[in-house]
Amino acid sequence: MKRYAYFPGCASESTAKSATLANEFVFGRIGIDLVEIEDWNCCGATSAHTLSSALGLALPARPLARAEADWPELDVVTGCASCYARLKLANHRVRADKSERYMVEKIIGKPYEAKREVLNFLDILSDPAARANIGAALLRRFKNLKAACYYGCLNVRPAEITGAENRENPMAMDEIAALTGAEPVEWGFKTECCGAAHQNDAALEARPLAGRILDNARACGADVILTACPMCQLNLEMRQGEYIRKREEKRTGKARFPLLDMVLPPDPEQAIPVLSITELLAVAMGAGGRRLALDAHFVPVGRLIAGALGGRESEAIL
Amino acid sequence: MTDHETLARLMADADVRQYDCYQCGKCSGGCPMADAMDLKPRGVMRCAQIGSLGRILNSNTIWLCTGCGACADRCPHDVNVPALIEEARYEAARRGLGRHDSEVLNKAFVANIKAFGRNHEMLLAGLYNVLALKPIQDMASVPHMLKKNLIGIKPNRIGATREIAELIERAEKWDDPMVATGRSQTPEVKK
Ligand code: SF4
Ligand code: SF4
Repeated sequence: MKRYAYFPGCASESTAKSATLANEFVFGRIGIDLVEIEDWNCCGATSAHTLSSALGLALPARPLARAEADWPELDVVTGCASCYARLKLANHRVRADKSERYMVEKIIGKPYEAKREVLNFLDILSDPAARANIGAALLRRFKNLKAACYYGCLNVRPAEITGAENRENPMAMDEIAALTGAEPVEWGFKTECCGAAHQNDAALEARPLAGRILDNARACGADVILTACPMCQLNLEMRQGEYIRKREEKRTGKARFPLLDMVLPPDPEQAIPVLSITELLAVAMGAGGRRLALDAHFVPVGRLIAGALGGRESEAIL
Repeated sequence: MTDHETLARLMADADVRQYDCYQCGKCSGGCPMADAMDLKPRGVMRCAQIGSLGRILNSNTIWLCTGCGACADRCPHDVNVPALIEEARYEAARRGLGRHDSEVLNKAFVANIKAFGRNHEMLLAGLYNVLALKPIQDMASVPHMLKKNLIGIKPNRIGATREIAELIERAEKWDDPMVATGRSQTPEVKK
């Protein structure tokens, strides 16, 4: 059994419910033990470092220091690209620069040497042993499921921090998805930023970033977008209804009251479901509907899964 | 400190040298936010080269950049444009040139962490919408989230909130140029 110190991230406690349940299921099945870091705090995400560079390092450093004290032999893993970027940066800077380490230790009031690595889920799922265990745990096989693997910007960049070899066309998630029988498509927006950071404070400017990703995935024939970050997932999914409505309004010239999005789900002919890579794996490993929260998606996923598994199998899940 | 010196300090802090950039435009070409920016990433570098700090600090670019890193990754000369943008953002804030909506969001975000140790999305989005006077933004999603238990009314609170609050105060003091380096506040720039 492989163990990691685990930084869940704030989204895991709320909007990322379906992905979090799937993570637990998948890691349990493939013999990976995630030990939650005691009393972890928010990493500050995209906001704290915008206000203060010291805070942008100190917030992620505190849980890392805690993990280092409690589990000195374990690497740290997180399932959110935004957390990953902040944790990894803090680790990198503390390691590279003595004065930064001095500052961070002073601010968090704990020793912190950044001895271990910070990893994301794609890193640990791509590990050869984990990959073999995934292969052995699969019980169902998808058919005719074309998947656009969306890595997001912060899982791969900046390269000098993440060490990612290929930032334009990474393949780790494509390879994992292919194990389930899903067919990864070639498309252009694997690592384009979805603008999640500014969907609140610059909504008008940031909305098109998510829209372009959805459009490109559909244009390249994908039935589903797979993600490795709850922020990307929420952003691509939650605002799809609004995006499709606006696109239609532009096309037809007729406006609709925005709050109608509340009661009208996005048009299934135009919407594209978004699943986390672990949800795809969990379903393929036989997880039933009660173990996951597949019904919590903004864009319904029932038709997609029924189509890719065949009727009888999918009844057990949905 | 003159604008010239301030710019030199920002460049040094960002580890960017202005003449590394030969204005090829690859950064702007790949920037997902370029459409909405009034000064595109290449323009930021041009202004740095000609010493036009004011244009950088007054641009919407520094508030719209998502930090996605596409520009720096693709730059043939490894110019770290987002690092310079981040330094420019701190300088703009120091001079009171912050963008209102960004400030509202980021301050609410940090206040949230200070109070609870973790972030509570519903509280944050709600607080932001009230403070920024955007009552319906994203609110269409709330019924679904409540129904599916994705968000609750209860904040995610951790045990060490006091420790976190003190950590935040220490960090903010560290960044204050008066405390950290003994430098005085830099004067206003003309547009
Ligand atoms: S890509 Fe690099 S060299 Fe080219 S304009 Fe941008 S910063 Fe300058
Ligand atoms: S880091 Fe900022 S400037 Fe560079 S490509 Fe991304 S959004 Fe554009």
